[in-house]
Amino acid sequence: MNTAAPALEVTAVSRNFGGVAALADVSFSVREGEVMGLIGPNGAGKSTLFEIVSGNLPPSAGRIAYFGADCTAQPSHLRRRAGMCRTFQKVRLFESMTVAQNIAVAASQCPTPGRSTRDEVDAILTQLRLEPLAARRPAALTLADRKRVEIGRAIAGHCRLLMLDESLSGLTHEEAEHLIGEVLALNRTRSITVIVVEHVLSVLAAMVQRLVVLNNGRLIADGTPREVAHDPVVIEAYLGKKHGALL
Amino acid sequence: MDAPLAASGKVTPQPARAARWRTLAPYVLPIVVIAVLPLLPFVNNYIIAATVRALIFISLGQAWNIVAGIGGQLSLGHGVFLGLGCYTTGILFNRYGIPPWIGGWAGMLISLAVALVMGSMTLRMRGVFFALATVAVSLALVQIALHFVDLTGGGDGLALKFFGNSLWAMQSRAPAPFLYGSLAFVVAYYWITRWVLASDFGFAMQAVRDDEVAAAAAGVAVFRTKVTGFMLSAAMTALAAVLYMQFYMAIDPEAAFGLSQAIQLQLPALLGGLGTALGPVIGGAVMIFLSEVTNWGSTKLGINGVDILVYGLMLLAVILRAPKGIVGLVFKNALGGSSR
Repeated sequence: MNTAAPALEVTAVSRNFGGVAALADVSFSVREGEVMGLIGPNGAGKSTLFEIVSGNLPPSAGRIAYFGADCTAQPSHLRRRAGMCRTFQKVRLFESMTVAQNIAVAASQCPTPGRSTRDEVDAILTQLRLEPLAARRPAALTLADRKRVEIGRAIAGHCRLLMLDESLSGLTHEEAEHLIGEVLALNRTRSITVIVVEHVLSVLAAMVQRLVVLNNGRLIADGTPREVAHDPVVIEAYLGKKHGALL
Repeated sequence: MDAPLAASGKVTPQPARAARWRTLAPYVLPIVVIAVLPLLPFVNNYIIAATVRALIFISLGQAWNIVAGIGGQLSLGHGVFLGLGCYTTGILFNRYGIPPWIGGWAGMLISLAVALVMGSMTLRMRGVFFALATVAVSLALVQIALHFVDLTGGGDGLALKFFGNSLWAMQSRAPAPFLYGSLAFVVAYYWITRWVLASDFGFAMQAVRDDEVAAAAAGVAVFRTKVTGFMLSAAMTALAAVLYMQFYMAIDPEAAFGLSQAIQLQLPALLGGLGTALGPVIGGAVMIFLSEVTNWGSTKLGINGVDILVYGLMLLAVILRAPKGIVGLVFKNALGGSSR
């Protein structure tokens, strides 16, 4: 694997559903260690792109490369084992299993060399302050805790790229801030590259180094949060007509 | 740990040993009770035979529990593997003189191969479509068994040549030897289920049962996990079928591949508690006990089919009132992750 290559490289990806183009010729890349935001209004194609990158949906055209290796045709479980991790827009936990078991599933399937499943589960429970909830089942958790458990399961074992699908939605301001802090800590302590999908720009501005903006299935901006917030094309996509900056 | 020394100088029982005994007692006592059953003066062959039936169906139910309870794949065609095990054992014995000790393994290997093909074709389907596909396979096998009369005996079925009491032929005039054989199966299958539940493979199966997309996102090879679970369940069913064949001494297409048999294979786990190791044990015991009582009742009343009616009512009651089965009623959090 080429370590100098970008963590993720999306090249000319398109996806059609019948006659509708959900994504058209989208290209961008993410550097290793970067925290990148992917935003766009509802229906922009964020979720479709997310599903294609994570291997749940094949692209109609284009190429996905992960640390330099083409993974376009690779099934999602193999991408996960290679360290490409994700959460879901609507939290999807294993409801019959405890919090610790949820994390153990991923830790055992994507083992970290030299670390047992139990050690990995304990480390994640500690890092995400989930120890008191370890024996609980997801149904007994708050939304914020469910999202933290899902992140814990996503990073368990071998993880190099974490993709968060609207993990902040539905949380209070305080809960969202806590979660952002935890994700940034993961980025620092575990050297995990992070892609965050959200539809509200202001939520991401303080969190990410770079933003990619989609609208109607096309990439319309790529830059720092400040550059994107002042981009007239982005402002028009969000507000429908010429306004001031979004931030 | 050294045993603590009491003032009298005698060694007192270790607390750890007492705790271990308290843990093991619920498992050891029922085994001992069943094992000494033939020695008790008031226990006749009828009671022993009923106990053997219960133990055989507990084993078969435990095997189905692996794929349906732990893996969440509702196979309605598990009679296929019961039938393949019975027919293979019977045909090899009657035609070639191969004893069931060897024929049983042959049946298991054939079942594994069929499960691999059947699973590869059907396990990409979800929910009701997979269930219907398994029904279709079992109905096809009924017709195949009816067609090849020379091999299977057709609609009349296949009866084993009887050698009397013979260890080589795994035959006995009395039911007691089958009691120990079926008890060994129940103990082995119970521990296999517990092992599966606590293993990485078992976690993967439960993850697939709960959410296939999330399981794949956690690194689980969903399809391979489903096929492996299906094959393990099929192999266990085919192996327990040897006991079924040797005990009943005959098999016919409906008893092997028919839907009523498939439902009987499911009832122990459904009644006792899907996805638990203890569920099929409790469920199978309750099922055969009620079956015997209703058989006796229907004979007294002169009404046929009361036992089938009771099965239906039991299933309805469980679905409506206790979806986690008897174990779920008794033990909190019995499902998923628990190794009970």
